[in-house]
Amino acid sequence: MTDTSLSSAPADRRERQRKAPARISPTRRRLENLVIQIILISAFLMLWEYASGRWVPRLMVSKPSDIWTTILRWLWDGTFATNLWVTVQATVGGFLLGASAGMALGFITGAWKRLGEILQPIVTAFYTLPRLALAPLFLLWFGLGMEFRIMFSATIVFFLVYYNTYFGVREVSSELISAVRIMGANWFQVAIRVIIPSALVWVAAGLKISVPYALVGVVVAEMLASDKGMGYLLSRGASQFSAAQSFAAIFGLLVVALVVDWLITRITNHALRWKSAGLQNQ
Amino acid sequence: MLLDIHDVYFGYQNEVELLQGFDLHVERGEFVALLGPSGCGKSTLMNLAAGLLKPLGGTVDFDGGPLKGLNREVGYMTQGDTLLPWASVAKNITLPLELRNIPKAEREERLDRVIRLVNLADARDKFPSELSGGMKRRALLARSIIYDPQMLLMDEPFGALDAQLREVMHQELLSTVARTGQSVLFITHDISESILLADRILVLGGLPLRVMEEIRPPYGKDRILAKVRTEDSYFQLERHLRDLLRQADAATKAAKS
Repeated sequence: MTDTSLSSAPADRRERQRKAPARISPTRRRLENLVIQIILISAFLMLWEYASGRWVPRLMVSKPSDIWTTILRWLWDGTFATNLWVTVQATVGGFLLGASAGMALGFITGAWKRLGEILQPIVTAFYTLPRLALAPLFLLWFGLGMEFRIMFSATIVFFLVYYNTYFGVREVSSELISAVRIMGANWFQVAIRVIIPSALVWVAAGLKISVPYALVGVVVAEMLASDKGMGYLLSRGASQFSAAQSFAAIFGLLVVALVVDWLITRITNHALRWKSAGLQNQ
Repeated sequence: MLLDIHDVYFGYQNEVELLQGFDLHVERGEFVALLGPSGCGKSTLMNLAAGLLKPLGGTVDFDGGPLKGLNREVGYMTQGDTLLPWASVAKNITLPLELRNIPKAEREERLDRVIRLVNLADARDKFPSELSGGMKRRALLARSIIYDPQMLLMDEPFGALDAQLREVMHQELLSTVARTGQSVLFITHDISESILLADRILVLGGLPLRVMEEIRPPYGKDRILAKVRTEDSYFQLERHLRDLLRQADAATKAAKS
C-alpha cells in the first residue's frame, strides 16, 4: 500500500504540472450567466404575481399576468405600433438635431480657441439650467406636436454631445497638429484628417450616452403634454389607475432602449476598431 | 548655407527674453547637435527653424530666402508619438505625400523605398497600436524623410527608447542621412548621443541663451558607431562635454532664479 502511494505521487505531480488549471469555456460561462439571469427574473415575477393583492394592493402594482395581457392586447390592436412609432421618430429626430448641433458648436469652439473662451461660459450657464424649466416655453412655441418632443429631447442631447466634442477637440495634441502642418496640411486638412478623427473617440462616447437621454427627453415631453407616444401611454395608465397599462408602456420602452443601445454599440465599435487592433494581436 | 538664424530675438510672455541676438547656421548636409540642459530653449530654436514660432527680431533664412510661414522643406520629428492611430503604417508614412497631392503610383513607389530603408516592410499594414516603441520611431523617421525634405528637425527623437534600441536607431539615422544627403538639426540632452551623431555640437546654456562652446567630433560621415565608442577621443570628449553641460546647467539655473 505504502509502496504504490509513494510511486504514484511523483507521477501525479508531473501530470498536474503539465496541465493548465481547468477553466470553463467562455461560451459555457455566458450560457450559465444567462440561465441564472432568467431564473432571477422569473423568481422576481413570481414573487410579484403572488404578492400582488395579498401583501400590496393590486391597484398600485398590478401583476405580471395582467401586464402581459395588456401587452398582448396592445400588440394586437396596434396601440404599441402607433405610439412606439411616434416615440421612436421623435427620439431619432431629437437625437439627430441635438447631436449635429452639439458636434458643430463643440468642434468650432474647441478648434478656435478665442471663440471657445467667449462661448464656453455661456453654454455652461445654459447647461446648469434645469431643462424641464424650458418645457412651458417650448409648449408655447411649438405646441403639442412632434416639434415639441424633438426640441425638448434635442436640448438634452445637445449639451452631452457638445461637451464631449469640445473636450475631444481640445485633447488633440498640439505636437501632432504641428507635425501634420509641417508635412504640408492646411487648416482644413488638419481638421478633416487629425482633429475630427482624434476627437471621434470622445464624440462617440458622447453619442452613445446621449441616445438613452434622447429617449428620456421624448418620453418626458410626452408625459408633460401630448396625446400620443409611449410617454402618453405611461401617464394615461397612471391617471386611469391602471398600473398594468403603465407597466406595459415601461416594458415597451425597455425593449426600444435595449435595441437602440445594441445598435449604437455596434456602430461605434465599428468606427473605433483601430483602437482595439493592438489588444487583439498581443 | 541651408539654415541661417541671424541676430534673432525671441521670448515668451512675461519672461526675460530667451534669445537676444542669437545666431545659428547649418550647412547643407551638416549634422548639428544642440546639446543643453532641459528647459534652456533648444526646442524654441527648432520651432523657429520650423516656422512654428516667429522671431520678435532678426531673420530666419532657409535655403537662401527668408522663411515665410511654416517651413515645409523640413522633416519634423519629436519625442511624442505623432502617428495617426487610426491609420495603418503605410498610410501614416505616405501622409505627407497625400497632403502634397502626389499621385498614388508615386506614393507607392516612394513608400517601398523608404519603408525598406527603415526596416518596416513587414509592418506596413499594421496599426500603430500594434507596433513596439522602436518600430514607431522607425515609422516616424520614414514619414519625416519620405518627401525628401532638405533638413530634418529632430527634438530628442529617441528619448523614450531603451539604450540598446537607441544604438540601433542611431546607426540607422546616420546611414539614412548619409544616403539622402540631408542636413539634421538634432536636439538632445544626452552627451554620448551628440558625440556619436553630430558633425558639430553646440553646447547651449544661460539666459539669454548663448553657445557655451562649439565642438567638432572628428569621426567623419561614414563612422561606425561601435568603433567610435571605443576611441580614446570619445571618452575625452564625453568628459569635456559633461563639464560644459554642468556649467551650462548652472548658468541657466542662475539666470532663472
